[in-house]
Amino acid sequence: MVGAFDHAPGRPEHIDSILNGLDRYNPESTAIFQEYVVQQCDEKFYDCYANLALLKLYQFNPPLTKDETITNILVKSLTVFPGPDFSLALHLLPPHILTPASTSSALPAAGDAPLSEAVQKLNVLNNLLAQASYASFWSTLDSDDLYADLIADVSGFEELIRVRIALTISQTVREIQRPVLESWLGMQGDAFTKFINGVCGWEVDGSVVKIPLNKENEAKSTIVQENPKIEQFSRVIRRAYEQPA
Amino acid sequence: MSAFQNGAAPARAIDDNSDVEEEALAADYREQVQYEGMDDMEPTMSMAQQTDDIQSRLAAAAQPLDFTAPLEVKFTSYDNYCSLFHFILNSEGPVDLEPPSYYWAWDVIDEFIYQFNSFCSYRNRVARQGNNEEEIAILREAPNTWGCYSVLNVLYSLIQRSQINEQLAAMKRNEEPMAVAGDYGSKPLYRMLGYFSIIGLLRVHCLLGDFSLALKTLDDIELNKKAMFARVMAAHFTTYYYVGFSYMMMRRYADAIRMFSHILIYVSRTKNFQKNAQYDSISKKNDQMYALIAICVAFHPTRLDDTIHTALREKYGDQLLKLQRGGPESLPIFEELFRSACPKFISPTPPDFDNPELNVDPLEHHLSIFMDEVKTNMWSATVKSYLRLYTTMDLKKLAGFLEVEPEKLRGWLLVNKQRSRQIRWTDNGLLDGEIASSGDLDYAMQSDLIHISEAKVGRKLVDWYLRNLARTY
Repeated sequence: MVGAFDHAPGRPEHIDSILNGLDRYNPESTAIFQEYVVQQCDEKFYDCYANLALLKLYQFNPPLTKDETITNILVKSLTVFPGPDFSLALHLLPPHILTPASTSSALPAAGDAPLSEAVQKLNVLNNLLAQASYASFWSTLDSDDLYADLIADVSGFEELIRVRIALTISQTVREIQRPVLESWLGMQGDAFTKFINGVCGWEVDGSVVKIPLNKENEAKSTIVQENPKIEQFSRVIRRAYEQPA
Repeated sequence: MSAFQNGAAPARAIDDNSDVEEEALAADYREQVQYEGMDDMEPTMSMAQQTDDIQSRLAAAAQPLDFTAPLEVKFTSYDNYCSLFHFILNSEGPVDLEPPSYYWAWDVIDEFIYQFNSFCSYRNRVARQGNNEEEIAILREAPNTWGCYSVLNVLYSLIQRSQINEQLAAMKRNEEPMAVAGDYGSKPLYRMLGYFSIIGLLRVHCLLGDFSLALKTLDDIELNKKAMFARVMAAHFTTYYYVGFSYMMMRRYADAIRMFSHILIYVSRTKNFQKNAQYDSISKKNDQMYALIAICVAFHPTRLDDTIHTALREKYGDQLLKLQRGGPESLPIFEELFRSACPKFISPTPPDFDNPELNVDPLEHHLSIFMDEVKTNMWSATVKSYLRLYTTMDLKKLAGFLEVEPEKLRGWLLVNKQRSRQIRWTDNGLLDGEIASSGDLDYAMQSDLIHISEAKVGRKLVDWYLRNLARTY
């Protein structure tokens, strides 16, 4: 989470030099960035800044656009919710992409109708995650085969999302009923206990799951106290010297 | 209009005095440009004529173009810019010119981008309405006029030629910038054009919806009163508007508020010194920034500077109350303020003249993405107002008060907690920052029990002590 927006651990040097030079606008960089997206999908890492540069190339050169890469970038950016990444990517897509299908259905020839449909579907997922409606997220994901196609390229998508959900839960929750947590994580039974114990390090205690205290879920009342520094008194002290009583 | 004129002599004054001369000059100059290629012209002109000519072209480039100007004029204006920048950038070695005034470089870059912006919006509108066959035909023929690649090319070339980023980096290290300035960058003309091109890039990226790159562009510029842009009011103002807006779109509301507050306080302190005409044109952007501050404060309640707070209540009192109350009633207000205060977004590529329905106004696109974020957050204010009243609270009971499903409330609590943690700038680049928890309210859930805690500010003793000590002396 912390770390500058324009850096990514694991970014290869040649990508870095394209990003910092004018080649980021060179249509020939498209292929390199596309490969890099594939690599991110396969190796479970993520480089928002580079992906946005690719979307910008598409923005400037619409004929180069590859729908699959766009949806892969969007799916990858879901895995870092609740960050703004998904929205930042959306802002760079063509303005008609979010207009409801009713207007675009009149143009079956418009070619990118499937793309706008896919983007809108992913936007639904993004909003569910942003609103912490995790149970609906999982049921929506299961409700349509298109979703399965969209996330197919991103290896470990469900796992990445689960870890992310768990992280947001641990910020707010000390203890939670097991059924609620099961619905939020979209898993039950052995898989659930394995995830809770193994990945999260939480403890299942009968019908509740206990989450160890951390800085976020303590909710300690704090009193902001002043921390007086000697410099604040420098004038007083100086005057005491200058005008001996 | 094209932001605000800074030139010592405003454009209009010249018009009044020497209308005829001006026109003759312009006609003459248009004719010359039509011959294309200044290199060919050189032998036919004496040195004196040439200098005159260039000076008038420099002045013309900073003149605002009326937004109702016919397409033809917009095309000519584009060609004029191209040949002027071509001359400045691609002559043999740096050209030996003094900028007509201190503000000239800013005015040129500002006007250049303004015309690019209004051309793109206009082209999109013509395509969307699809009823002006004649203009559609003209625009279709010239997809590269005012193209984003050529605009970016000009800005990046000016930046590179002047080595301005290297110069700024040297200044940051307290070294002599002239050591890295090179042949071009040591001349004021190039240095100023390069510098304001950075601000220009910030603006263009923001207009295109690339908010992170917009902020990244300013890496080498330090935002403080010593910065070069601070000497040109319009540049100062524009920079903070676009930086603040970009922060807002990246959901870094605390940083956005900091930017808007800084410049609004500055304007309110200096407004008595501004010439009236200048102040009028600033005041529109000023109101826009108040609207944006209102939005940001609704997302991120915080104590504003007293001056800002009073002005905000005066201008947007009713709206602010509704925004802060949240819920579905606040949505139209968010939308209204966003529409009135956002930059005039553009789409970088020529529109699809064959499918007018596909040419959605980019504003609608950015607005709908923004509104999703508003909807995600709209219950936070309500939830917080209840939590503030208790130290522990049963989730189901609170859900009853709020008349929602307990499951929904659980989600709202998670959302509010996530959103109270924001990245905040500490130092270095504008994109850097650390996660800080905002707000004075914190809570945690233990099954259905919500534990609530407040951060209280202790008594400010140092101040009290010093004040009383001063009195006894």
